[in-house]
Amino acid sequence: MAPVPTESIESAANPALADPASLARVSAAGLLSWLMPGLGHLFIGDRTRGIVCMVTIVITFWSGVAIGGVRATVDPQERSLWFLAQLCTGTNVGAAYLLRGDAPRVSQRVSAAQVAATAGPWVSADIGVHYTGVAGLLSILVILDALGRAERLPRASWRSSRDRPRGVT
Amino acid sequence: MITIASVLAFLTTGMDLTRFPRFVLMLPLCLSVAVIYKSTRMENMRAVPAAAAVLWITIVLGMVAVGVGLWALFSVMA
Repeated sequence: MAPVPTESIESAANPALADPASLARVSAAGLLSWLMPGLGHLFIGDRTRGIVCMVTIVITFWSGVAIGGVRATVDPQERSLWFLAQLCTGTNVGAAYLLRGDAPRVSQRVSAAQVAATAGPWVSADIGVHYTGVAGLLSILVILDALGRAERLPRASWRSSRDRPRGVT
Repeated sequence: MITIASVLAFLTTGMDLTRFPRFVLMLPLCLSVAVIYKSTRMENMRAVPAAAAVLWITIVLGMVAVGVGLWALFSVMA
């Protein structure tokens, strides 16, 4: 019996791998989901799910930052494993990291008395880290879901109205 | 008036929760988990709110049960 080429096995098991354009779009859905949780779902046309995921994860992440204070919450040196989880929220953790570097300057500009310390009390810091870490872990779930849905989506439904030639419905 | 600077200051400061019941802070976190889990598992998004509410209550009650169980265990061992 002649050996079956590996490519045909992959194509039969996973049609998305057979078509480079589909593979690129599945990858784009995953990348967008990482950049901003829910964006991958919006990209593949699953609007409600995308918005729900985006709003929920963004609120969870930034609530954690607000509770713990950005310097105590997003801390790659002291809380490296939590930071790995936070990295899954993409641009959220990027923005928080930028804010972290800017924290003392922002605090001074508003009011030195109002903002006595940029690191919150330890209880708040721990709770904030849990919020942001869980937001990151939930982002992994959203990324995997976006990848799965993008892969399962029929090729015809990829084409948005913008892609279609004029006169074709 | 809420300004960008005051929002940034709010995010950089952190809250003092030493006198706040920490248990309450578990509720929104569990709600997030329930909403995201059900959003990814269910095909019909209209059914997500009810399913997420049920899951949220289940998680909270389960964690309360675990907490009570551990408290009882430690009380007996002490």
